[in-house]
Amino acid sequence: MKRSTVSSILTVLLLIPATLYLGTKLPGRWYYLTSTLIIIETMIPFFLAFEKRRPQARELVTIAVMAAIAAVSRAAFAFIPNFKPIVGIIMITGIAFGAEAGFLTGTVAAFASNFFFGQGPYTPWQMMAYGFGGFLAGLLFHKKRKLHQKPVLYLAVLTAFGFVGIVAVVGPLLDCCTIFTTGTQLTWAYALACFASGFPINVTHGIACGLTMLLLSKPLLDKLDRLKTKYGMMEAGTDGL
Amino acid sequence: MKRDAFSQYHPAVNFVFFVGAIGFGVVIQHPAYAAAGCVSAALYYLLLRGRSAWKLILSMLPLAALLTLINPLFNTSGEHILFRVFGRPYTLEALYYGMAIAAIFVVMMLWFGCYNAVLTSDKFTGLFGNLIPALSLLLVMVLRMIPNFFRKMKQIIGARRSIGKGAEKSGSTKEKIGQGMTVLSALTDWALEGSVVTADSMRARGYGTARRTSFQIYRMTLRDWVLLALMVFLAAGVIVAGGVRAEFTPILSIAPLTWGFAAYCVFLSIPTALHIKEALQWRISISKI
Repeated sequence: MKRSTVSSILTVLLLIPATLYLGTKLPGRWYYLTSTLIIIETMIPFFLAFEKRRPQARELVTIAVMAAIAAVSRAAFAFIPNFKPIVGIIMITGIAFGAEAGFLTGTVAAFASNFFFGQGPYTPWQMMAYGFGGFLAGLLFHKKRKLHQKPVLYLAVLTAFGFVGIVAVVGPLLDCCTIFTTGTQLTWAYALACFASGFPINVTHGIACGLTMLLLSKPLLDKLDRLKTKYGMMEAGTDGL
Repeated sequence: MKRDAFSQYHPAVNFVFFVGAIGFGVVIQHPAYAAAGCVSAALYYLLLRGRSAWKLILSMLPLAALLTLINPLFNTSGEHILFRVFGRPYTLEALYYGMAIAAIFVVMMLWFGCYNAVLTSDKFTGLFGNLIPALSLLLVMVLRMIPNFFRKMKQIIGARRSIGKGAEKSGSTKEKIGQGMTVLSALTDWALEGSVVTADSMRARGYGTARRTSFQIYRMTLRDWVLLALMVFLAAGVIVAGGVRAEFTPILSIAPLTWGFAAYCVFLSIPTALHIKEALQWRISISKI
Protein backbone atom coordinates (compact mmCIF):
# COMPACT_ATOMS: atom_id res chain seq x y z
CA MET A 1 0.00 0.00 0.00
CA LYS A 2 1.11 3.53 -0.70
CA ARG A 3 1.88 5.84 2.18
CA SER A 4 -0.88 8.23 1.18
CA THR A 5 -3.43 5.41 1.28
CA VAL A 6 -2.27 4.34 4.72
CA SER A 7 -2.47 7.88 6.04
CA SER A 8 -5.97 8.39 4.63
CA ILE A 9 -7.15 5.15 6.23
CA LEU A 10 -5.59 6.21 9.55
CA THR A 11 -7.31 9.59 9.36
CA VAL A 12 -10.64 7.90 8.86
CA LEU A 13 -9.97 5.47 11.71
CA LEU A 14 -9.43 8.51 13.95
CA LEU A 15 -12.35 10.47 12.51
CA ILE A 16 -14.95 7.78 13.18
CA PRO A 17 -14.35 7.43 16.95
CA ALA A 18 -14.15 11.24 17.20
CA THR A 19 -17.55 11.53 15.51
CA LEU A 20 -18.99 8.87 17.78
CA TYR A 21 -17.59 10.61 20.87
CA LEU A 22 -18.97 14.03 19.89
CA GLY A 23 -22.31 12.50 18.95
CA THR A 24 -22.81 11.03 22.41
CA LYS A 25 -21.47 13.99 24.38
CA LEU A 26 -23.25 16.96 22.80
CA PRO A 27 -26.84 17.86 23.66
CA GLY A 28 -29.53 17.15 21.08
CA ARG A 29 -30.50 14.15 19.03
CA TRP A 30 -27.40 13.10 17.15
CA TYR A 31 -28.32 9.56 16.03
CA TYR A 32 -28.98 10.44 12.42
CA LEU A 33 -26.15 12.93 11.96
CA THR A 34 -23.53 10.78 13.71
CA SER A 35 -24.44 7.61 11.87
CA THR A 36 -24.58 9.37 8.50
CA LEU A 37 -21.25 11.09 9.08
CA ILE A 38 -19.69 7.71 9.86
CA ILE A 39 -21.17 6.27 6.67
CA ILE A 40 -19.68 9.15 4.67
CA GLU A 41 -16.32 8.85 6.46
CA THR A 42 -16.19 5.15 5.57
CA MET A 43 -16.66 5.95 1.88
CA ILE A 44 -13.95 8.63 1.79
CA PRO A 45 -10.89 6.31 1.54
CA PHE A 46 -12.38 4.59 -1.52
CA PHE A 47 -13.01 7.92 -3.21
CA LEU A 48 -9.58 9.27 -2.31
CA ALA A 49 -7.86 6.15 -3.64
CA PHE A 50 -9.75 6.57 -6.91
CA GLU A 51 -8.77 10.24 -7.19
CA LYS A 52 -5.12 9.57 -6.32
CA ARG A 53 -4.88 6.90 -9.00
CA ARG A 54 -5.80 9.43 -11.72
CA PRO A 55 -8.03 6.95 -13.56
CA GLN A 56 -7.63 6.45 -17.30
CA ALA A 57 -10.37 7.53 -19.69
CA ARG A 58 -11.44 3.98 -20.54
CA GLU A 59 -11.77 2.96 -16.92
CA LEU A 60 -13.79 6.06 -16.15
CA VAL A 61 -16.14 5.55 -19.07
CA THR A 62 -16.68 1.86 -18.34
CA ILE A 63 -17.60 2.53 -14.73
CA ALA A 64 -19.88 5.36 -15.84
CA VAL A 65 -21.65 3.12 -18.36
CA MET A 66 -22.21 0.34 -15.82
CA ALA A 67 -23.48 2.80 -13.21
CA ALA A 68 -25.87 4.37 -15.71
CA ILE A 69 -27.15 0.95 -16.85
CA ALA A 70 -27.73 -0.01 -13.22
CA ALA A 71 -29.61 3.26 -12.68
CA VAL A 72 -31.93 2.76 -15.69
CA SER A 73 -32.29 -1.01 -15.27
CA ARG A 74 -35.52 -0.69 -13.29
CA ALA A 75 -37.24 0.71 -16.42
CA ALA A 76 -36.68 -2.53 -18.35
CA PHE A 77 -39.03 -4.22 -15.87
CA ALA A 78 -41.63 -1.49 -15.75
CA PHE A 79 -44.41 -4.09 -16.17
CA ILE A 80 -43.40 -5.99 -13.05
CA PRO A 81 -44.03 -4.18 -9.76
CA ASN A 82 -41.12 -3.89 -7.28
CA PHE A 83 -38.58 -5.62 -9.53
CA LYS A 84 -35.29 -3.82 -8.85
CA PRO A 85 -32.26 -5.31 -10.64
CA ILE A 86 -29.95 -2.35 -9.81
CA VAL A 87 -27.82 -4.09 -7.16
CA GLY A 88 -27.59 -7.21 -9.35
CA ILE A 89 -25.95 -5.21 -12.11
CA ILE A 90 -23.65 -3.48 -9.62
CA MET A 91 -22.62 -6.91 -8.29
CA ILE A 92 -21.92 -8.20 -11.81
CA THR A 93 -19.72 -5.13 -12.42
CA GLY A 94 -17.84 -5.91 -9.21
CA ILE A 95 -17.31 -9.52 -10.30
CA ALA A 96 -16.04 -8.47 -13.73
CA PHE A 97 -13.82 -5.53 -12.76
CA GLY A 98 -12.96 -6.02 -9.09
CA ALA A 99 -14.10 -4.83 -5.69
CA GLU A 100 -13.08 -1.19 -6.07
CA ALA A 101 -14.88 -0.77 -9.41
CA GLY A 102 -17.93 -2.48 -7.92
CA PHE A 103 -17.95 -0.08 -4.98
CA LEU A 104 -17.65 2.98 -7.20
CA THR A 105 -20.33 1.77 -9.58
CA GLY A 106 -22.70 1.23 -6.68
CA THR A 107 -22.16 4.58 -5.00
CA VAL A 108 -22.28 6.55 -8.24
CA ALA A 109 -25.37 4.69 -9.49
CA ALA A 110 -27.23 5.42 -6.24
CA PHE A 111 -26.17 9.05 -6.12
CA ALA A 112 -26.86 9.77 -9.80
CA SER A 113 -30.27 8.08 -9.87
CA ASN A 114 -31.27 10.16 -6.83
CA PHE A 115 -30.77 13.30 -8.92
CA PHE A 116 -33.75 12.04 -10.91
CA PHE A 117 -35.83 10.59 -8.09
CA GLY A 118 -34.83 13.13 -5.40
CA GLN A 119 -32.00 13.22 -2.89
CA GLY A 120 -33.01 12.55 0.68
CA PRO A 121 -31.72 11.60 4.11
CA TYR A 122 -31.30 8.08 2.73
CA THR A 123 -28.82 9.08 -0.02
CA PRO A 124 -25.55 8.33 1.87
CA TRP A 125 -27.00 5.08 3.18
CA GLN A 126 -28.11 3.98 -0.25
CA MET A 127 -24.70 4.85 -1.71
CA MET A 128 -22.96 2.84 1.00
CA ALA A 129 -25.34 -0.13 0.74
CA TYR A 130 -25.19 -0.41 -3.05
CA GLY A 131 -21.44 0.24 -3.09
CA PHE A 132 -20.87 -2.39 -0.46
CA GLY A 133 -22.90 -4.91 -2.49
CA GLY A 134 -20.61 -4.36 -5.47
CA PHE A 135 -17.52 -4.40 -3.26
CA LEU A 136 -18.48 -7.70 -1.65
CA ALA A 137 -19.22 -9.33 -5.01
CA GLY A 138 -15.84 -8.22 -6.34
CA LEU A 139 -14.03 -9.38 -3.23
CA LEU A 140 -15.60 -12.83 -3.31
CA PHE A 141 -15.76 -13.66 -7.00
CA HIS A 142 -13.43 -11.40 -9.03
CA LYS A 143 -10.42 -13.69 -8.93
CA LYS A 144 -12.20 -17.02 -8.48
CA ARG A 145 -11.50 -18.44 -11.90
CA LYS A 146 -11.68 -22.04 -10.69
CA LEU A 147 -15.43 -21.81 -10.28
CA HIS A 148 -15.80 -21.04 -14.00
CA GLN A 149 -15.07 -24.66 -14.83
CA LYS A 150 -18.33 -25.65 -13.17
CA PRO A 151 -20.82 -23.27 -14.81
CA VAL A 152 -23.93 -24.66 -13.13
CA LEU A 153 -22.42 -24.48 -9.66
CA TYR A 154 -21.03 -20.99 -10.39
CA LEU A 155 -24.45 -19.75 -11.47
CA ALA A 156 -26.10 -21.29 -8.41
CA VAL A 157 -23.53 -19.67 -6.11
CA LEU A 158 -23.99 -16.27 -7.75
CA THR A 159 -27.78 -16.50 -7.52
CA ALA A 160 -27.61 -17.42 -3.86
CA PHE A 161 -25.11 -14.62 -3.28
CA GLY A 162 -27.45 -12.11 -4.95
CA PHE A 163 -30.33 -13.10 -2.71
CA VAL A 164 -28.39 -13.40 0.54
CA GLY A 165 -26.40 -10.23 -0.16
CA ILE A 166 -29.60 -8.18 -0.33
CA VAL A 167 -31.45 -9.83 2.55
CA ALA A 168 -28.45 -9.92 4.91
CA VAL A 169 -26.34 -6.89 3.96
CA VAL A 170 -27.79 -4.31 1.57
CA GLY A 171 -31.36 -4.35 2.90
CA PRO A 172 -30.46 -4.14 6.62
CA LEU A 173 -28.04 -1.27 5.85
CA LEU A 174 -30.94 0.63 4.29
CA ASP A 175 -33.17 -0.23 7.27
CA CYS A 176 -30.54 1.26 9.59
CA CYS A 177 -31.33 4.64 8.04
CA THR A 178 -34.98 4.22 9.12
CA ILE A 179 -33.87 3.36 12.65
CA PHE A 180 -31.68 6.43 12.97
CA THR A 181 -34.15 8.86 11.40
CA THR A 182 -37.31 7.77 13.23
CA GLY A 183 -36.22 6.27 16.56
CA THR A 184 -36.33 8.22 19.80
CA GLN A 185 -34.37 5.67 21.80
CA LEU A 186 -31.88 3.28 20.31
CA THR A 187 -33.19 0.01 21.72
CA TRP A 188 -32.86 -3.49 20.34
CA ALA A 189 -36.64 -3.77 20.32
CA TYR A 190 -37.01 -0.78 18.02
CA ALA A 191 -34.14 -1.92 15.78
CA LEU A 192 -35.65 -5.41 15.50
CA ALA A 193 -39.06 -3.93 14.70
CA CYS A 194 -37.50 -1.86 11.89
CA PHE A 195 -35.62 -4.87 10.50
CA ALA A 196 -38.76 -7.01 10.72
CA SER A 197 -40.90 -4.45 8.90
CA GLY A 198 -38.20 -4.12 6.24
CA PHE A 199 -37.82 -7.89 5.86
CA PRO A 200 -40.59 -8.53 3.28
CA ILE A 201 -39.31 -5.65 1.15
CA ASN A 202 -35.78 -6.99 1.39
CA VAL A 203 -36.95 -10.48 0.37
CA THR A 204 -38.72 -9.10 -2.74
CA HIS A 205 -35.64 -7.03 -3.52
CA GLY A 206 -33.44 -10.10 -2.91
CA ILE A 207 -35.49 -12.27 -5.26
CA ALA A 208 -35.17 -9.64 -8.00
CA CYS A 209 -31.42 -9.44 -7.41
CA GLY A 210 -31.02 -13.24 -7.36
CA LEU A 211 -33.01 -13.55 -10.60
CA THR A 212 -30.84 -10.87 -12.19
CA MET A 213 -27.74 -12.83 -11.22
CA LEU A 214 -29.27 -16.08 -12.51
CA LEU A 215 -30.36 -14.73 -15.88
CA LEU A 216 -27.95 -11.90 -16.56
CA SER A 217 -24.64 -12.79 -14.93
CA LYS A 218 -23.46 -15.16 -17.67
CA PRO A 219 -24.33 -12.98 -20.70
CA LEU A 220 -23.08 -9.80 -19.02
CA LEU A 221 -19.87 -11.32 -17.66
CA ASP A 222 -19.13 -12.78 -21.10
CA LYS A 223 -19.66 -9.36 -22.65
CA LEU A 224 -17.47 -7.58 -20.14
CA ASP A 225 -14.75 -10.22 -20.52
CA ARG A 226 -14.92 -9.85 -24.29
CA LEU A 227 -14.56 -6.12 -23.89
CA LYS A 228 -11.42 -6.71 -21.84
CA THR A 229 -9.86 -8.87 -24.55
CA LYS A 230 -11.12 -6.77 -27.44
CA TYR A 231 -10.05 -3.35 -26.17
CA GLY A 232 -7.88 -4.13 -23.15
CA MET A 233 -10.20 -2.18 -20.89
CA MET A 234 -9.88 -2.05 -17.11
CA GLU A 235 -6.38 -3.50 -17.13
CA ALA A 236 -4.07 -1.88 -14.63
CA GLY A 237 -2.69 1.42 -15.87
CA THR A 238 -2.49 0.59 -19.57
CA ASP A 239 -5.77 2.01 -20.85
CA GLY A 240 -5.57 -0.54 -23.67
CA LEU A 241 -3.19 1.52 -25.74
CA MET B 1 -39.74 25.76 -11.48
CA LYS B 2 -40.20 29.47 -10.97
CA ARG B 3 -37.25 31.85 -10.81
CA ASP B 4 -35.86 31.80 -7.32
CA ALA B 5 -33.62 34.54 -5.93
CA PHE B 6 -31.74 32.30 -3.50
CA SER B 7 -30.87 29.86 -6.31
CA GLN B 8 -29.07 32.69 -8.10
CA TYR B 9 -26.46 32.90 -5.35
CA HIS B 10 -23.20 30.98 -5.46
CA PRO B 11 -23.68 27.20 -5.01
CA ALA B 12 -21.40 27.26 -1.96
CA VAL B 13 -23.82 29.69 -0.28
CA ASN B 14 -26.75 27.42 -1.13
CA PHE B 15 -24.86 24.38 0.11
CA VAL B 16 -23.89 25.98 3.41
CA PHE B 17 -27.50 27.00 4.01
CA PHE B 18 -28.80 23.46 3.48
CA VAL B 19 -26.04 21.94 5.61
CA GLY B 20 -27.06 24.34 8.37
CA ALA B 21 -30.81 23.94 7.96
CA ILE B 22 -30.76 20.14 7.73
CA GLY B 23 -28.02 19.76 10.35
CA PHE B 24 -29.80 21.90 12.94
CA GLY B 25 -33.11 20.37 11.86
CA VAL B 26 -32.14 16.78 12.65
CA VAL B 27 -30.13 17.50 15.80
CA ILE B 28 -32.35 19.93 17.72
CA GLN B 29 -35.42 18.20 19.12
CA HIS B 30 -36.83 21.29 20.85
CA PRO B 31 -40.49 21.53 19.73
CA ALA B 32 -40.39 25.27 18.98
CA TYR B 33 -37.34 24.83 16.77
CA ALA B 34 -38.93 21.87 15.00
CA ALA B 35 -42.10 23.88 14.41
CA ALA B 36 -40.11 26.82 13.04
CA GLY B 37 -38.31 24.38 10.74
CA CYS B 38 -41.59 22.89 9.51
CA VAL B 39 -43.12 26.29 8.74
CA SER B 40 -40.10 27.80 6.99
CA ALA B 41 -39.26 24.66 5.01
CA ALA B 42 -42.88 24.24 3.87
CA LEU B 43 -43.11 27.91 2.92
CA TYR B 44 -39.92 27.86 0.86
CA TYR B 45 -40.88 24.55 -0.75
CA LEU B 46 -44.25 26.06 -1.74
CA LEU B 47 -42.53 29.09 -3.25
CA LEU B 48 -40.15 26.83 -5.21
CA ARG B 49 -42.60 24.26 -6.49
CA GLY B 50 -45.87 26.15 -6.60
CA ARG B 51 -48.99 24.05 -6.56
CA SER B 52 -47.26 20.70 -7.02
CA ALA B 53 -45.60 21.22 -3.61
CA TRP B 54 -48.81 20.19 -1.87
CA LYS B 55 -48.30 16.62 -3.00
CA LEU B 56 -45.17 16.16 -0.85
CA ILE B 57 -46.48 18.31 2.01
CA LEU B 58 -49.78 16.43 2.25
CA SER B 59 -48.11 13.03 1.89
CA MET B 60 -46.03 13.92 4.95
CA LEU B 61 -49.11 14.19 7.20
CA PRO B 62 -50.09 10.50 7.45
CA LEU B 63 -46.42 9.56 7.78
CA ALA B 64 -45.97 12.03 10.62
CA ALA B 65 -49.11 10.73 12.34
CA LEU B 66 -47.83 7.16 12.03
CA LEU B 67 -44.42 8.07 13.48
CA THR B 68 -46.09 9.87 16.38
CA LEU B 69 -48.36 6.97 17.27
CA ILE B 70 -45.71 4.28 16.91
CA ASN B 71 -43.10 5.85 19.19
CA PRO B 72 -44.88 5.14 22.55
CA LEU B 73 -45.05 1.46 21.60
CA PHE B 74 -41.26 1.24 21.80
CA ASN B 75 -40.39 4.04 24.18
CA THR B 76 -42.34 3.18 27.31
CA SER B 77 -40.84 5.58 29.84
CA GLY B 78 -42.84 8.55 31.11
CA GLU B 79 -45.07 9.55 34.00
CA HIS B 80 -48.54 9.92 32.54
CA ILE B 81 -49.75 6.55 31.38
CA LEU B 82 -52.60 6.92 28.91
CA PHE B 83 -53.40 3.23 28.57
CA ARG B 84 -51.64 -0.11 28.29
CA VAL B 85 -50.83 -2.05 25.12
CA PHE B 86 -50.15 -5.75 25.81
CA GLY B 87 -49.30 -4.80 29.37
CA ARG B 88 -46.79 -2.15 28.27
CA PRO B 89 -47.50 1.47 29.24
CA TYR B 90 -48.39 3.92 26.47
CA THR B 91 -47.31 7.26 27.90
CA LEU B 92 -48.12 10.87 27.14
CA GLU B 93 -44.46 11.89 27.26
CA ALA B 94 -43.52 9.31 24.66
CA LEU B 95 -46.39 10.54 22.50
CA TYR B 96 -45.04 14.10 22.70
CA TYR B 97 -41.60 12.73 21.86
CA GLY B 98 -43.10 10.96 18.86
CA MET B 99 -44.61 14.25 17.72
CA ALA B 100 -41.24 15.99 17.96
CA ILE B 101 -39.53 13.20 15.99
CA ALA B 102 -42.27 13.27 13.36
CA ALA B 103 -41.81 17.05 13.04
CA ILE B 104 -38.05 16.59 12.68
CA PHE B 105 -38.66 13.97 10.00
CA VAL B 106 -40.98 16.32 8.09
CA VAL B 107 -38.46 19.17 8.38
CA MET B 108 -35.74 16.93 6.97
CA MET B 109 -37.84 15.69 4.04
CA LEU B 110 -39.03 19.21 3.15
CA TRP B 111 -35.53 20.71 3.27
CA PHE B 112 -34.31 17.90 1.06
CA GLY B 113 -37.16 18.70 -1.32
CA CYS B 114 -35.94 22.32 -1.46
CA TYR B 115 -32.34 21.11 -1.83
CA ASN B 116 -33.30 19.09 -4.91
CA ALA B 117 -34.81 22.17 -6.53
CA VAL B 118 -32.00 24.58 -5.62
CA LEU B 119 -28.80 22.54 -5.78
CA THR B 120 -29.12 20.98 -9.21
CA SER B 121 -26.58 18.45 -10.46
CA ASP B 122 -24.59 21.03 -12.46
CA LYS B 123 -24.21 23.16 -9.34
CA PHE B 124 -23.09 20.15 -7.32
CA THR B 125 -20.42 19.18 -9.84
CA GLY B 126 -19.41 22.82 -10.26
CA LEU B 127 -18.97 23.05 -6.50
CA PHE B 128 -17.01 19.83 -6.03
CA GLY B 129 -15.32 19.67 -9.46
CA ASN B 130 -11.99 20.89 -8.11
CA LEU B 131 -12.06 18.85 -4.94
CA ILE B 132 -12.90 15.51 -6.56
CA PRO B 133 -12.23 15.94 -10.30
CA ALA B 134 -12.39 12.27 -11.34
CA LEU B 135 -15.52 11.49 -9.33
CA SER B 136 -17.39 14.59 -10.45
CA LEU B 137 -16.53 13.81 -14.06
CA LEU B 138 -17.84 10.29 -13.45
CA LEU B 139 -21.03 11.77 -12.05
CA VAL B 140 -21.48 14.16 -14.99
CA MET B 141 -21.06 11.27 -17.43
CA VAL B 142 -23.59 9.10 -15.59
CA LEU B 143 -26.08 11.96 -15.42
CA ARG B 144 -25.78 12.43 -19.16
CA MET B 145 -26.00 8.70 -19.87
CA ILE B 146 -29.15 8.02 -17.86
CA PRO B 147 -31.58 9.86 -20.19
CA ASN B 148 -29.58 8.65 -23.18
CA PHE B 149 -29.92 5.01 -22.06
CA PHE B 150 -33.63 5.49 -21.41
CA ARG B 151 -33.98 6.49 -25.05
CA LYS B 152 -31.82 3.57 -26.21
CA MET B 153 -33.90 1.19 -24.12
CA LYS B 154 -37.09 2.48 -25.71
CA GLN B 155 -35.58 1.92 -29.15
CA ILE B 156 -34.61 -1.66 -28.26
CA ILE B 157 -38.08 -2.39 -26.89
CA GLY B 158 -39.66 -0.83 -29.99
CA ALA B 159 -37.48 -2.87 -32.33
CA ARG B 160 -38.30 -6.07 -30.45
CA ARG B 161 -41.99 -5.29 -30.50
CA SER B 162 -41.93 -4.78 -34.26
CA ILE B 163 -40.66 -8.32 -34.74
CA GLY B 164 -43.32 -9.67 -32.42
CA LYS B 165 -41.18 -10.00 -29.28
CA GLY B 166 -42.60 -7.12 -27.29
CA ALA B 167 -43.02 -7.23 -23.54
CA GLU B 168 -46.78 -6.88 -23.56
CA LYS B 169 -48.87 -6.49 -20.48
CA SER B 170 -50.55 -9.85 -21.11
CA GLY B 171 -47.51 -12.14 -20.88
CA SER B 172 -46.68 -14.22 -17.80
CA THR B 173 -44.29 -12.84 -15.21
CA LYS B 174 -41.63 -15.29 -16.33
CA GLU B 175 -41.88 -14.00 -19.91
CA LYS B 176 -41.77 -10.39 -18.78
CA ILE B 177 -38.64 -10.98 -16.70
CA GLY B 178 -36.99 -12.77 -19.61
CA GLN B 179 -37.85 -9.89 -21.93
CA GLY B 180 -36.45 -7.36 -19.49
CA MET B 181 -33.18 -9.28 -19.15
CA THR B 182 -32.77 -9.48 -22.94
CA VAL B 183 -33.36 -5.74 -23.24
CA LEU B 184 -30.81 -4.98 -20.51
CA SER B 185 -28.27 -7.29 -22.10
CA ALA B 186 -28.70 -5.63 -25.49
CA LEU B 187 -28.46 -2.18 -23.92
CA THR B 188 -25.20 -3.13 -22.17
CA ASP B 189 -23.68 -4.29 -25.44
CA TRP B 190 -24.70 -1.14 -27.26
CA ALA B 191 -23.60 1.20 -24.49
CA LEU B 192 -20.24 -0.47 -23.87
CA GLU B 193 -19.24 -0.50 -27.53
CA GLY B 194 -20.12 3.19 -27.65
CA SER B 195 -18.09 3.85 -24.54
CA VAL B 196 -14.88 2.84 -26.30
CA VAL B 197 -15.39 5.64 -28.81
CA THR B 198 -16.09 8.09 -25.99
CA ALA B 199 -12.94 7.09 -24.14
CA ASP B 200 -10.75 7.37 -27.23
CA SER B 201 -12.25 10.74 -28.01
CA MET B 202 -11.54 11.87 -24.46
CA ARG B 203 -7.89 10.88 -24.86
CA ALA B 204 -7.61 12.58 -28.22
CA ARG B 205 -8.98 15.79 -26.75
CA GLY B 206 -6.45 15.70 -23.97
CA TYR B 207 -8.24 14.19 -20.98
CA GLY B 208 -5.96 14.19 -17.98
CA THR B 209 -3.42 16.63 -19.38
CA ALA B 210 -4.72 19.72 -17.62
CA ARG B 211 -7.07 20.80 -14.88
CA ARG B 212 -10.66 20.20 -15.80
CA THR B 213 -12.76 23.31 -16.29
CA SER B 214 -16.48 23.33 -15.71
CA PHE B 215 -19.22 24.45 -18.04
CA GLN B 216 -20.82 26.82 -15.57
CA ILE B 217 -18.56 29.39 -13.99
CA TYR B 218 -19.50 30.39 -10.47
CA ARG B 219 -17.75 33.27 -8.74
CA MET B 220 -18.22 34.47 -5.20
CA THR B 221 -19.29 38.10 -5.50
CA LEU B 222 -19.78 40.65 -2.74
CA ARG B 223 -23.44 39.76 -2.16
CA ASP B 224 -22.48 36.06 -1.83
CA TRP B 225 -19.89 36.90 0.82
CA VAL B 226 -22.34 39.13 2.66
CA LEU B 227 -25.03 36.45 2.73
CA LEU B 228 -22.52 33.78 3.72
CA ALA B 229 -21.25 35.95 6.58
CA LEU B 230 -24.81 36.59 7.75
CA MET B 231 -25.59 32.85 7.69
CA VAL B 232 -22.43 31.92 9.61
CA PHE B 233 -23.13 34.70 12.13
CA LEU B 234 -26.72 33.49 12.70
CA ALA B 235 -25.67 29.83 12.92
CA ALA B 236 -23.00 30.73 15.46
CA GLY B 237 -25.70 32.64 17.36
CA VAL B 238 -27.90 29.53 17.50
CA ILE B 239 -25.00 27.48 18.87
CA VAL B 240 -23.77 30.10 21.37
CA ALA B 241 -27.20 31.06 22.73
CA GLY B 242 -28.08 27.46 23.59
CA GLY B 243 -31.49 26.80 25.06
CA VAL B 244 -32.16 23.99 22.60
CA ARG B 245 -32.24 21.24 25.21
CA ALA B 246 -35.51 19.34 25.37
CA GLU B 247 -36.04 16.08 27.21
CA PHE B 248 -39.31 14.25 26.75
CA THR B 249 -38.91 10.98 28.60
CA PRO B 250 -39.05 10.07 31.44
CA ILE B 251 -39.99 13.63 32.50
CA LEU B 252 -40.97 16.39 30.14
CA SER B 253 -38.45 19.23 30.46
CA ILE B 254 -38.13 21.79 27.72
CA ALA B 255 -35.67 24.66 27.95
CA PRO B 256 -37.15 28.18 27.77
CA LEU B 257 -36.61 30.00 24.48
CA THR B 258 -33.63 32.32 24.19
CA TRP B 259 -32.56 34.83 21.53
CA GLY B 260 -31.00 31.83 19.79
CA PHE B 261 -34.48 30.90 18.63
CA ALA B 262 -34.84 34.31 16.95
CA ALA B 263 -31.48 33.77 15.23
CA TYR B 264 -32.66 30.33 14.09
CA CYS B 265 -35.90 31.75 12.65
CA VAL B 266 -34.02 34.48 10.77
CA PHE B 267 -31.53 31.91 9.46
CA LEU B 268 -34.26 29.62 8.15
CA SER B 269 -36.26 32.41 6.51
CA ILE B 270 -33.31 33.73 4.45
CA PRO B 271 -34.25 31.97 1.18
CA THR B 272 -37.96 32.71 1.59
CA ALA B 273 -37.26 36.37 2.34
CA LEU B 274 -34.97 36.70 -0.68
CA HIS B 275 -37.56 35.05 -2.91
CA ILE B 276 -40.38 37.32 -1.73
CA LYS B 277 -38.19 40.43 -1.90
CA GLU B 278 -37.31 39.76 -5.51
CA ALA B 279 -40.90 38.91 -6.44
CA LEU B 280 -42.04 42.22 -4.94
CA GLN B 281 -39.31 44.18 -6.70
CA TRP B 282 -40.35 42.59 -9.96
CA ARG B 283 -43.98 43.54 -9.36
CA ILE B 284 -43.03 47.13 -8.55
CA SER B 285 -40.77 47.51 -11.55
CA ILE B 286 -43.50 46.15 -13.82
CA SER B 287 -46.09 48.51 -12.40
CA LYS B 288 -43.79 51.48 -13.09
CA ILE B 289 -43.70 50.77 -16.81
